[in-house]
Amino acid sequence: MPAALAIRDLYKRYPTGVEALKNVSLEIPEGAFFGLLGPNGAGKSTLIHCTTGLARPSSGSIEVFGHDAVDHYQKARVGVGLAPQEINLDMFLTVEQVLDYHGGYFGMSRRDRAARIKELLEAFSLEEKRKDATRFLSGGMKRRLTLARALMHNPPLVILDEPTAGVDIELRLELWRYIERVNTEGTSIMLTTHYLEEAERMCDRIAFINHGEIVAEGTVPELTAHYGVATLEDAYLALVGREELARA
Amino acid sequence: MSPATIRMQSLVGREVARFMKIKRQTLGAPLLETFLYISVFGAALGSRIHTLHGYRYIVFVLPGLIMMAFATNAFTNNSSSILQQKFTHAIDDQLSSPASPLELLLGFSLGGFIRGLVVSLIAYVVAGLLVGEPVREPLVLIPSIVLVGMFFSQAGVLVGVRAQQFDDVALYQTFVIQPLIFLGGVFYSASLLPQPWGTLTRFDPIYYMIALVRYGFIGFHETSIAISFLALAVITFALFGFNLWVFTKGRYLRT
Repeated sequence: MPAALAIRDLYKRYPTGVEALKNVSLEIPEGAFFGLLGPNGAGKSTLIHCTTGLARPSSGSIEVFGHDAVDHYQKARVGVGLAPQEINLDMFLTVEQVLDYHGGYFGMSRRDRAARIKELLEAFSLEEKRKDATRFLSGGMKRRLTLARALMHNPPLVILDEPTAGVDIELRLELWRYIERVNTEGTSIMLTTHYLEEAERMCDRIAFINHGEIVAEGTVPELTAHYGVATLEDAYLALVGREELARA
Repeated sequence: MSPATIRMQSLVGREVARFMKIKRQTLGAPLLETFLYISVFGAALGSRIHTLHGYRYIVFVLPGLIMMAFATNAFTNNSSSILQQKFTHAIDDQLSSPASPLELLLGFSLGGFIRGLVVSLIAYVVAGLLVGEPVREPLVLIPSIVLVGMFFSQAGVLVGVRAQQFDDVALYQTFVIQPLIFLGGVFYSASLLPQPWGTLTRFDPIYYMIALVRYGFIGFHETSIAISFLALAVITFALFGFNLWVFTKGRYLRT
């Protein structure tokens, strides 16, 4: 069975000469809840952009459920849903239109789109806002809609780039409950977050990325053993060379 | 319906939804501008000039005004829409979809084309009722105005894709497109200009577009219609080909 995401020997060099990814190889099994952790500027977003077609890799390969995601990307793109770190909703559209056009871009029929929109608006408590323009939504509502949009075309792999940044506690718990449910139903998840307790609780496996390289990968016990520390937070601090901040 | 057709419908639908959402600005303002030109040049100047090459002055300038409305709206819509989406990163939704470079290019292009068509059609119908503008050569007019719309749609896409800030879009509009349209003979006949202006006008590509559209409407021409049409078709398809290369390579859009 092909992996949900298989990245091999990936390099990304920007025209400025910055090498954002260096020989990255990574495999996320189907159905996994996978965490990608690292400090700001480590290469997490670049990796996500290469996977979703927003950036072109310099070399290496990316496959989504066995489909090439770089050159012959159509099948691979249908398999991925992206909730980006930065809210990027179309300010000219209503909540319902955002979901409808997104479904259309992914080739969903009008009937399938209508049914899925109803389901997602209910799941994310957005029914009353369906006719509202996105620019008038609160920050929390925008975050919900961003996540709903990522799930709109029923992708078997969902990439969540810091989905709970700036979100209040109730909404965070609500979002996690829904994401856990989606994962239980078989959707593979790749998560980046700065909330280590979330990653520890949710993820089956975690990879640490720093300076564009995957420096460690495994379960939480494997990572703590690798760094010779007690908690994931301590392992992370060891990764970024700030052990003096350890709370134990 | 195939997924590709659904994608195209959605890409174009989004562009139309955008300009319909702000229709006072995207449809109302250009229509007002066109009617102001018609009023000023028809009523004020027309009462003094009377005829040009045997045509009533307003009948002579109206084809150029209709073409100008199509061209500027197609250009402005596409350049602004793409730049706005780049600013907010909303464009990532389309770029991360399975849409091919050709589908993306057509989707972004057709929004401006449709807006230009709507504005110029309304202008033609209303002005036609007021002025009685004829359509002498529809077989030249229709393909010519379609090519003009396509050319400026493609130009708008290219400028929007390359632009880093709104000033970049305004720069092309104010300092390139508008002067070339005005100097291309919208309001006068190039043959009446003193030298060297009469010759210089012939280096303005928009002169040939106006010539084609004017010939389609009133049957008047002062340059070869066949060569003008061929040249317009060549530069339009060349620009389309260049844009397709830009979208295929992901230049300016994907990092």
